Amino acid sequence: MWGAFSSEWIKLQRRSLLLWGFGAGLLFPVLATIFTIERATRTPQLFSGHGIHITYAVLEQPNGLVHGVVDVSSLIGIVSLCLFAAAFATEYSQGTLRNLLVREPRRIQFLIGKFLALVLFILIVVIVAVGVSVALAFILAPGKGISTSAWSSSTGITDMFQAVFHAFLAAVIYGLFGAALGVLLRSPGLSIGIAIAWVIPIEAIIVGAIWSSGSNWLPGRLLAALAHGGNGDSTYYHALLMLAIYAGATAVAILALFRRRDA
Amino acid sequence: MASALSKRYKEVLAVDGVDIDLPAGVVGGFVGPNGAGKTTTIQLLLGLVRPTSGVAKVLGESIAHPERYLRRVGALIESPSFYPALSGRRNLEVLTRLGRLDKSRIDTVLAQVELSARANDRVKTYSLGMKQRLGVAAALLPDPELVILDEPTNGLDPAGIREMRSVMRGLADRGITVLVSSHLLREIEAICDHLMMIDHGRVVFQGPISGLLEAQHTGIVARAEHAADLAKLLALCAAAGKQARIDGDVLRVSAQEGWAAELNRQAFAAGITLSGLEVTRASLEDAFFAITDQDDTERAAEALA
Repeated sequence: MWGAFSSEWIKLQRRSLLLWGFGAGLLFPVLATIFTIERATRTPQLFSGHGIHITYAVLEQPNGLVHGVVDVSSLIGIVSLCLFAAAFATEYSQGTLRNLLVREPRRIQFLIGKFLALVLFILIVVIVAVGVSVALAFILAPGKGISTSAWSSSTGITDMFQAVFHAFLAAVIYGLFGAALGVLLRSPGLSIGIAIAWVIPIEAIIVGAIWSSGSNWLPGRLLAALAHGGNGDSTYYHALLMLAIYAGATAVAILALFRRRDA
Repeated sequence: MASALSKRYKEVLAVDGVDIDLPAGVVGGFVGPNGAGKTTTIQLLLGLVRPTSGVAKVLGESIAHPERYLRRVGALIESPSFYPALSGRRNLEVLTRLGRLDKSRIDTVLAQVELSARANDRVKTYSLGMKQRLGVAAALLPDPELVILDEPTNGLDPAGIREMRSVMRGLADRGITVLVSSHLLREIEAICDHLMMIDHGRVVFQGPISGLLEAQHTGIVARAEHAADLAKLLALCAAAGKQARIDGDVLRVSAQEGWAAELNRQAFAAGITLSGLEVTRASLEDAFFAITDQDDTERAAEALA
């Protein structure tokens, strides 16, 4: 397993992948942080589109530091999903899987080692994304007159670590689903396309038009709830339990398929 | 090595009860037309695909447990596949780490295939021939006892083909068993000692190449100083019980090499001056088509029955 982990780590150091992974992983949290702070108002005001501007009072809470990051943690998850799907499917489409399985024929160890390397990569992406967003928040907030004293309180720090943990956990489960699609479909484009189509428009259509209580059962909705530490659709623990069941079943099915299928 | 090994993909029987046995320390050729089942057989031996039926052993271990023997096997499967954005060296490092092999082997194998100078360049800048050589380098990484090369000369120019021959010969000289598949029969004839011929998923011949070629028809071609003497030569052959025919300005005789001297003697005794006398040997290509044509005829007869 260590062999698979460490060999995958070489591939993850490709310049294009680093640029893409960190670029996409950082883009959404950074934009969200800038947007949240710059558009914050002292009193509640209607947003020109939908919803209302976030107020200074909300941002000055201990969890105000990671407000922007939490809002886009599902997007970090989608970045993770694309990364995992591409990493697994490309081995098939590029024809490199056969070379790898000749050197590591113990397929379960190979799959787990590769997965763990990607998990470590996405953990680094999440930590860097949150770190940059936090730094940016501390730089921008004083300029807007937003007090940051509660952010560095013990509650604020706990909230920040919780945000990192929830975003990371959601990203890993997104990644697991991406990896499963990559192994199943063996095409990076198809895997990513189907995954994004399911998580964004298809689940929205199902919940909006067919099955209103689907938010408690559909994986994309549950992942969004998990990434936010619970939301209006599902509590954190319900989302965690359901996703543990889905992820466990997916992992067992993919391990069985990969072990038996011709390479 | 393999016994009654079969692989079926839905309606297609890609490998049909293959029995093969490759002696240790030889360069074995695995020949057959495209789609004959060579690559599938190789994939079965490497544990990449599961047999529908049959058993096989590689280096004494069952193919049901490839982890027990693949550390001692190097392989190049079909076209060489690498990560284009990584250098040749980094690609080999991926495989070295994965197989927990000795990292110092990377420089050794790069030198063996003469890629050291380009080792740090990205693979996407390599020519097909360089990728092929990198594939061979990857196969040599574990310092293997058995090397399996699937179409290693694909995409190589004549100089590259000659280099590849010398690499394979060098492996055999070091006591490494080499199994090389190809549809280029002249290549196989030039480098292999042992042959396995496959057609429509079935092994139609296996054994030493020399034995196969000796068993094939050899012939003698004679030229007379005066063309009119060819008829007399034909009569001499008939009297000796040899089949012969006049083909333009030569006489073609179906006979073993040793009879050429006898023909020369008899022609001299009959007052015929030969201006040329040569022995023709069947090539591997001739042997291949003789065997596969016979196999096709038998298959057609089976189908009709």
